[in-house]
Amino acid sequence: MLTHRITLTIVLVFAGFAPAVELLPANKPIETVIDLAIQARLQADGVQPAPQADDATLIRRLTLDLVGRIPTLVETDDYVGSSDPNKRAKLVDRLMASPGFVRFQAEQLDVMLNSTVAGDDRRQGSVRNYLRTALADGKTWDQIFRDLMLPNEDDPKTKSAVNFLKARARDTDRLTNDVSVAFFGVNVSCAQCHDHPLVADWKQDHFYGMKSFLDRTYEAGNFLAERGAGLVKFKPTRGPERSAQMMFLTGTIVDSPTVRELTKDEQKREKELIEKAKQDKKAPPAPPFSARAQLVELALKPKESQFFARSIVNRLWYRLLGYGLVMPLDQMHSENPASHPALLDWLARDFRDHGYNLRQTIRGIVLSQTYSRSSIDPREIPPAASYFAVGRLKPLTPMQLAASLRIATRDPAGFAGMKPDERERQIESLVSGAAGFAAYFEEPGDDFQIGVAEALFFSNSDRIAQEFLNNHGGTLLGRLKTVTDPREAVTLLVRTVYGRLPNADEMKGLTDYLARRTDRTPEAYKQILWALLTASEFRFTY
Amino acid sequence: MIRCGSRLHRFSHTDSSFVRIVVAAPNPEKLKLVKDFGYPMPVFDVAPVPQSTRCFFGAADFQVSEVDLAATKWEPRKLYAHGSYVTTVTLAGSALISGGYDGQLIWWDTAKNQMIRSVEAHQKWIRKAVTSPDGRYVASVADDMVCRVWDAVSGKPVHELKGHAPQTPQHFGSMLYAVTYSADGKYLATGDKVGHIVIWDATTGKSVTTLEAPVMYTWDPKARLHSIGGIRSLAFSPDGKRLAVGGMGKVGNIDHLEGKARVELFDWQSGQTIAQQEHDGQKGLVNRLAFAPDGSWLAAAGGGTQGFFYFLNSDAKKILKDEKAPMHVHEFSLSPSGEEFVLVGHNRIAQYKLG
Amino acid sequence: MRAKSFCGSVDHAISRRGFLGATVAAGASAFADMTGLDQLGSSALASQMKKNQKRVILLWLAGGASQLETFDPKPGVQTGGPFRAIPTSVPGVHISELMPQMAKRMHKTCIIRGLNTKIGDHLNGAQLMLRGRRNEAGLKYPDIGAVVAREMARLESQVPDHVTFYTQTEGRYYALGDAGFFGARFAPMELTTENRPGNIRRRDGITALDHQQRADLRVLLSQQFAKGRSSSTLGSHNEAYERVRGIMASETLFDVTQEPQKVRDRYGPTQFAEQTLIARRLVEAGVPFVRIGRAWWDCHGQNFETHQEMVPELDHVMATLIDDLHERGLQDDVMVVTLSEFGRTPRINASLGRDHFASAWSMSMTGGGIKGGAVWGKTDPLGNTVSDQEVNAGTLFATLYAALGINPHKNYYVGSRPVPLVDEGIEEIDDLIA
Repeated sequence: MLTHRITLTIVLVFAGFAPAVELLPANKPIETVIDLAIQARLQADGVQPAPQADDATLIRRLTLDLVGRIPTLVETDDYVGSSDPNKRAKLVDRLMASPGFVRFQAEQLDVMLNSTVAGDDRRQGSVRNYLRTALADGKTWDQIFRDLMLPNEDDPKTKSAVNFLKARARDTDRLTNDVSVAFFGVNVSCAQCHDHPLVADWKQDHFYGMKSFLDRTYEAGNFLAERGAGLVKFKPTRGPERSAQMMFLTGTIVDSPTVRELTKDEQKREKELIEKAKQDKKAPPAPPFSARAQLVELALKPKESQFFARSIVNRLWYRLLGYGLVMPLDQMHSENPASHPALLDWLARDFRDHGYNLRQTIRGIVLSQTYSRSSIDPREIPPAASYFAVGRLKPLTPMQLAASLRIATRDPAGFAGMKPDERERQIESLVSGAAGFAAYFEEPGDDFQIGVAEALFFSNSDRIAQEFLNNHGGTLLGRLKTVTDPREAVTLLVRTVYGRLPNADEMKGLTDYLARRTDRTPEAYKQILWALLTASEFRFTY
Repeated sequence: MIRCGSRLHRFSHTDSSFVRIVVAAPNPEKLKLVKDFGYPMPVFDVAPVPQSTRCFFGAADFQVSEVDLAATKWEPRKLYAHGSYVTTVTLAGSALISGGYDGQLIWWDTAKNQMIRSVEAHQKWIRKAVTSPDGRYVASVADDMVCRVWDAVSGKPVHELKGHAPQTPQHFGSMLYAVTYSADGKYLATGDKVGHIVIWDATTGKSVTTLEAPVMYTWDPKARLHSIGGIRSLAFSPDGKRLAVGGMGKVGNIDHLEGKARVELFDWQSGQTIAQQEHDGQKGLVNRLAFAPDGSWLAAAGGGTQGFFYFLNSDAKKILKDEKAPMHVHEFSLSPSGEEFVLVGHNRIAQYKLG
Repeated sequence: MRAKSFCGSVDHAISRRGFLGATVAAGASAFADMTGLDQLGSSALASQMKKNQKRVILLWLAGGASQLETFDPKPGVQTGGPFRAIPTSVPGVHISELMPQMAKRMHKTCIIRGLNTKIGDHLNGAQLMLRGRRNEAGLKYPDIGAVVAREMARLESQVPDHVTFYTQTEGRYYALGDAGFFGARFAPMELTTENRPGNIRRRDGITALDHQQRADLRVLLSQQFAKGRSSSTLGSHNEAYERVRGIMASETLFDVTQEPQKVRDRYGPTQFAEQTLIARRLVEAGVPFVRIGRAWWDCHGQNFETHQEMVPELDHVMATLIDDLHERGLQDDVMVVTLSEFGRTPRINASLGRDHFASAWSMSMTGGGIKGGAVWGKTDPLGNTVSDQEVNAGTLFATLYAALGINPHKNYYVGSRPVPLVDEGIEEIDDLIA
């Protein structure tokens, strides 16, 4: 098998990826490189960044981002009260070592991989179970990519990875685009019908080139199968029909005699294989030459892997900072440069050099000063998001929201009395029970808008009232039965739900409210709790 | 009926206006397909000419046609057309009466090959017309939910039988699919979409009794908000005491004819149910039922995506013979001896023989 | 330089159809509408537009109603089925005999018979026919309800913007309302179990005063949080809670018993009839978009029986709705659309059914800026292909939007990415617009 490049394409693609500035040395810590790069641009443009967030805000942000829930009051108190200079790194390491990290990262990667199918058919395509096992086993992103693209249905550990391809196998146009978007940050769908009008990188050859790797994938019975040969043809906007080659996004072509149409016999054989797969309830045998395997190998080659590495780094950055180095996430090409090109390239290089280790990159980002800036910016016109000068508000994901509601409404003294291991187990059991509730909420995307349905749900549903506003044993409202001093009650409520003390305005407003309801104090506590849970502070990572 | 140990039985009606000697019906085990013919459209009904190999049939091409099943070449001849699907054909002497979704009953002189008359018989689709055993009357049913009895010769209306609700309980238009005479011609039975059956005194046109077979009707209020099913076939036992009712059991996905083929057997005078038989292996509507001339078996045919043709014992509790028909069967004719069947249905006509 | 990030450009931003599209989206800064003319936004113009605020009732015939048994009969041919065609109030135009009432009103209605939308499975067909195009990887498009809601809703509106009824379970999942990249602000209020929206009524456990005063507490807390912070998502969160009281007050709109018995009798007793009457109440009160999902037309078996059952109901309800809107003087403001995910095969299968078919099928539009009596598109004698005036989903949606006064060529912005309302190169059919 030979690979070669189309000269025209290589020029355009690498024009886009050529580093604008020299990269910083590889051995510097990730967080240092991030802060240097971000600071350099702030300074160059004379933009003043926001100060660092306070400790209570930071532990809330880290806990939500790393394990998908708010911290318990005891965790917050311990963190805020600690004078250990290394407390932040220790917190990060503790959270990343907890079972919640695997759970939440698997959820987030699943959402990322299936973002398109999610809107169309939530019943298909979930690889969450696979991702949990893979992350728990310490699998790196390239290994996950291999498992998803070349799933082995006989291995119980990777079996459910097949869902990613299976959910898309009946529509290989979609498969082509979804693979390009999910793993390479490139949306080539425009190039399906015509060369992209604005982006020179994207020709029809790119779409059909990528499709040539994936078009041989099909569903046989309930199993995934691949043909040993195949030819993708397309009609260019001008000129006669063309045959596509197996061409990666970089322009590299895989030459193979299998790029040809199937013979009549082979077509017949395929039908027989499908029937046999149905009868035997077993996947058809893999072909001697797998185009999909070629794509995986090629995409991970040192000279080709920039798409693969940059895309996931940009996505991790987006998830943690609330805005990508390249936006939109699926438009990573030469004419849509990164806000900090050298930083993106450095992070991608570092990621690749460290064996595509997701944990390492995540840890580096959350330890940076850039990550821990305050989200408060009193300026009338805040600097553009791409400066990363101010912490960004991120709406909670459905799972973050559901899990956090469960934690915020428990009696904080319960958590405080537990040993750390026991607390961890208790929290995980609370969180895993929140999955059904999470289905009420929408997964946030760019420029997410919260609808009135959510507000009505919180305002009037039985579910909210019964699940979160009851005063049974072990709940926050249950604990408040013994509290008679209004200031003490307000302090307990605000600290438990928000992890901070009430400010003067809040103290006044809430104690006044209680004072007007001395005849029904428990009811008044309940309504204050409702207001705390529905106010914006609870709904966002800030 | 007297059993006397030989294959010869004497069968007499209590009202002995006529007496027939019948040979014991042949064993369904010996069922075999003799011939089958393709037709470009669904065929809905067939009327064989007695003592001949010819038959008339009506089809979805709006045509009434004639064909000689014994001819060396399969050559149907179109006789005349209705304004819509021809759903029923029946002979009364040399007159052929056909009916269709155009609401018309057409009398055709088979000897002279010309139309006798066309009658606007019903306001809605005609589903079925049958000739009384003595050949004097024709009874037709239609989605106007009325059964009309006509003088087979003059074409004049004789009775108008009204006993079926025009709307289903869910406020949609109902349908009246099935009608049959008892062998002695004294009774008529009609069956509708929601499973309501009325037995009529054929002479007076008065309702004698009613029966219900509600399982035949599936209304899906939750998933799909429409209905499927209905009573599609009726047959009196030769002694007139029992009434067999054909259709389909409850359906899960009502987009498809996937309920089990279902037959209910009533002792209609007492209103007692003798059998409720669902065929575990066959899905779809039982479009036609017929008892053996001696009552020893009950033949059922119909279909969904595929067709079926099976025989139950006289109690309708046991399957004696089970055949996969070559098409979804809409109707069949049965020779007086109980030996020859002509099945018509989806784009096919099939000739079967017992023995 | 603005990053080029999608195959749209500011060149598309020049409105081609005049002063169009007042928008509620002003409240959501992320959706600042860049369409040149929309930026003029003079108050006189705005009030004029509000006066002519158009609304849509979409009768969604879920599962795929048959064109041959409704708007494109082919009596007497092999594929035609048993039903006759009857003349209509438009000379030369015939529709199925199952629709005698609509036949008398055909001069008010426009039929498209030339739909070729290619996608013949429920999920993807429904997605396509509710959006006018297919979702892309990484970009979920708003459906027609969300677009109309966003373009037509009034900022100060006390009623929902986008309501969908889909009571049956079959196919509901395929046709979920979806605001796509507009976000939940324009997502539908979905009614699935009963005709009254869920969570619209105050629970028994809380007094009206407490309900109100805890909302005030929520505002107090949210205001503290909003100091020094701004984002469109944050804005939408508070706006959603601000709308709660208004929406709760609109509960009676969903109560069909508020209508005189005479009116209820006129529509009829079925669920579809009742929901359509509620839709009329809603649009009259200013709700921009209501969709009634009437499931389930997927007649793989017994196509004719089922259409005989269901089409007369459709005919009656549709005709009653059109008459009612006329009597209320709303005919030019409210568009009534009937649409499915696809039609049904001309070929009749062994179960006397018709299967999925997207190559040559029909839909209808009445009022709200659509030319009455127009018929667009022609199918071959057997109904297998479109022989003239073929229409794809994009063209249909461009036409619908244009008739409603929404510029189909306007751009929305997802971040900095311009996304045109209909795909590049798609043009509306001017002949169908009044």
